[in-house]
Amino acid sequence: MIGLISYLTFFFTIALILAIAVLGLNLQWGFTGLFNGGVVAFFAAGAYGLIMLGGPARANEFGGFDLPYLIALAGGVLLSGVLALVVGLATTRLRHDYLAIATFGVAIAIESVARNAEYLTGGAKGLRGFERPLEAWVGQPQLYSFLFLCVVIVCLVGVYIALEKLVDSPFGRLLRAVRENERAAQSLGKSPAHIRLTAFVIGAMIMGLSGGLYATFYAFISPQDIAPILTFQIWAMLIVGGSGNNRGAILGTLVVWGGWVGSGWALTAFAPASMQLYAGSIQYILIGCIIVFTLLARPRGLLPERLTTTQYAESSVEKR
Amino acid sequence: MRKVNLLSPRAALLSLLLPAIWISPTSTVLAADCETKIGAVLPTSVDWGRPIAETAQFAVDLFNESGGVKGCDIDMVLRDSQVDPKIGVDAAKALVDLDKVPLLLGAVSSGVSMPILTSVTVPSGVMQMSCCSSSTGFTDVAAEGKTNGLWFRTFATTRNQAAVAAKLVQDKGYKSVGIFYKNDDWGQDIGKLVKADLEKLGITVTTSVAINDAQPSYRAEVTEALKTKPEAVYMALYPAEGISVTREWVSLGGTQKMVVANSLKSDEYRDGVGFQYLSDVIGHDSAPPRTDSADSFTAMYKEKFDSEPNGPGLPNIFDAVMISLLAMEAAPELTGAAIAAQVGKVTDPSGTPVNADAAGLKEARALLADGKSLSYQGATGAVVFDANGDVSAPAVAWTFTEDGTAEAAYYPLADVDTFIATLSK
Repeated sequence: MIGLISYLTFFFTIALILAIAVLGLNLQWGFTGLFNGGVVAFFAAGAYGLIMLGGPARANEFGGFDLPYLIALAGGVLLSGVLALVVGLATTRLRHDYLAIATFGVAIAIESVARNAEYLTGGAKGLRGFERPLEAWVGQPQLYSFLFLCVVIVCLVGVYIALEKLVDSPFGRLLRAVRENERAAQSLGKSPAHIRLTAFVIGAMIMGLSGGLYATFYAFISPQDIAPILTFQIWAMLIVGGSGNNRGAILGTLVVWGGWVGSGWALTAFAPASMQLYAGSIQYILIGCIIVFTLLARPRGLLPERLTTTQYAESSVEKR
Repeated sequence: MRKVNLLSPRAALLSLLLPAIWISPTSTVLAADCETKIGAVLPTSVDWGRPIAETAQFAVDLFNESGGVKGCDIDMVLRDSQVDPKIGVDAAKALVDLDKVPLLLGAVSSGVSMPILTSVTVPSGVMQMSCCSSSTGFTDVAAEGKTNGLWFRTFATTRNQAAVAAKLVQDKGYKSVGIFYKNDDWGQDIGKLVKADLEKLGITVTTSVAINDAQPSYRAEVTEALKTKPEAVYMALYPAEGISVTREWVSLGGTQKMVVANSLKSDEYRDGVGFQYLSDVIGHDSAPPRTDSADSFTAMYKEKFDSEPNGPGLPNIFDAVMISLLAMEAAPELTGAAIAAQVGKVTDPSGTPVNADAAGLKEARALLADGKSLSYQGATGAVVFDANGDVSAPAVAWTFTEDGTAEAAYYPLADVDTFIATLSK
């Protein structure tokens, strides 16, 4: 029983950390229509930023300032924001697939920097030795994991509420206007470029927060953590859950991540012994099937976007 | 329907029969009346990872046939790491929390083994033994006292490989060397170590160039190295990029005096470059040792899989499994700390030598029952761990021949260790 609780605490910690990144992508793609193919770049900026600012000093290397945790976390989030600002400004004229390719390239570049800039990022072996905040004070590992999960839940709920408020506001309508028809929005005197950049930076900072929490949890980050597969995983979670719906984004994360690791567990538990060696490969097939069948059954995701029209629009429809 | 009266003669008869039925199927099986689980997190979905998992299962089966651990069969629960740290850590966590394994084998990549070590096995007090993680980072973690003695690996560290490379350069009498290294954790590690070792030996390192995977051409990197005019080059590369780099290097007039890592000891590399350019190449490798036990592993492997144990990490995972299981047999209770504490006892250089075959395991059991210590002789020879859970290994120098590779020199374990000691001074 204690084992099960311990595992579930762990599972939800990772799943909900990823859910935060999915919410960030939902703001960019779901509400604004920005095809970010380099989610992992902003996740990495948050993670590396945190460990470089808050980690212990390393011999002959930059970083390791041992700053207080919250400042280090904020620094990581800010680093994601700055990266997004630079990328956003550089790609301001790009749309859809072009933006996707450009951001994908940025992610590859960031991974390459992490792998090579040893004095900055520790190179391929990564950064370790980070002391998790208050861990020594709490003492008991089980209790600490539980408290950490609570912190992740607080962050997730905070991001969720803030995003719900944001997309319900006039600014949220503007985001959807840009998504649906940029020229129409422009004709109403709005600046789509500015709106897109704002959504891109906010979304990226949310991904940075997710990366920061991830690095805190493992107290370790290496280029293997920021492989392109993570971008795919986060996209799959959003699409399965329902883009344009924040609750869908969270549900999609739980379903996809649960299926991803659950299939591995189920195969070792139930597949015959002779198949165990191939379980890893079968797991990939299962993961693919879960995604495909969810989309066949619910093409717009598990919880599709709730499209609302304003009361004025409704009354004008009635009059006609 | 009539209720069965618990006091009736029929019920009494039933109550006598039931336990008999319960016992009968299990009593026919000899060793398998109980099972002990251990965990393994290996990249089974990757082509080079599956043979490692197969060899691990082979070793477990061999151990079970000889009587298992404390009379119980070992059930190795295998999970795929997908070479993704998130997935590997989740699998390890599930094995530790849900399957309650006291021992975890894996992972292969250092980037997966490290977060498993720091966030799963050490906090949960589970012993972890890896076959293949070579990063020097683990030595640092252990030296900081953060592994609680729960971490071991049967793969000679990059430290060991680098020292042998430096020794070959010194023995050849080269005065200046350029280095090409693969741009991953292993390559960066070994590139840096070889550079430091050579400089310590008074040999000039003219340049140290990182080689990224899958580039169509390495002309820029090669030209840069060529400008520094080294007398010889050292290459820590894999065949794919090694072929391109060597071809461009030689075609642009670079020296054919080369020292290469064991990763280039392949037919693919020799044929890809062309043997006529490789006559001055000398390579280093850490296996196999000159012991009967290593030969017996090769023989057992051939019998089982009908091929040579040629893939990376196969002898190492075999030894990792055997040593862990012997330590379990020796441990008074099956907790991670108790098992880890016995690893020294089964790999004690002054203990009785035992081989990793059916007869050897039987002898090992008897010795352990008497409270004696053993010196395990496995597929990588007599394995001895240092305080950080690292092993050293004997080395060979090899050269290419018309139809394969030939051994040029053999450096026994003691020589390698002495040489490393002089370098660390």
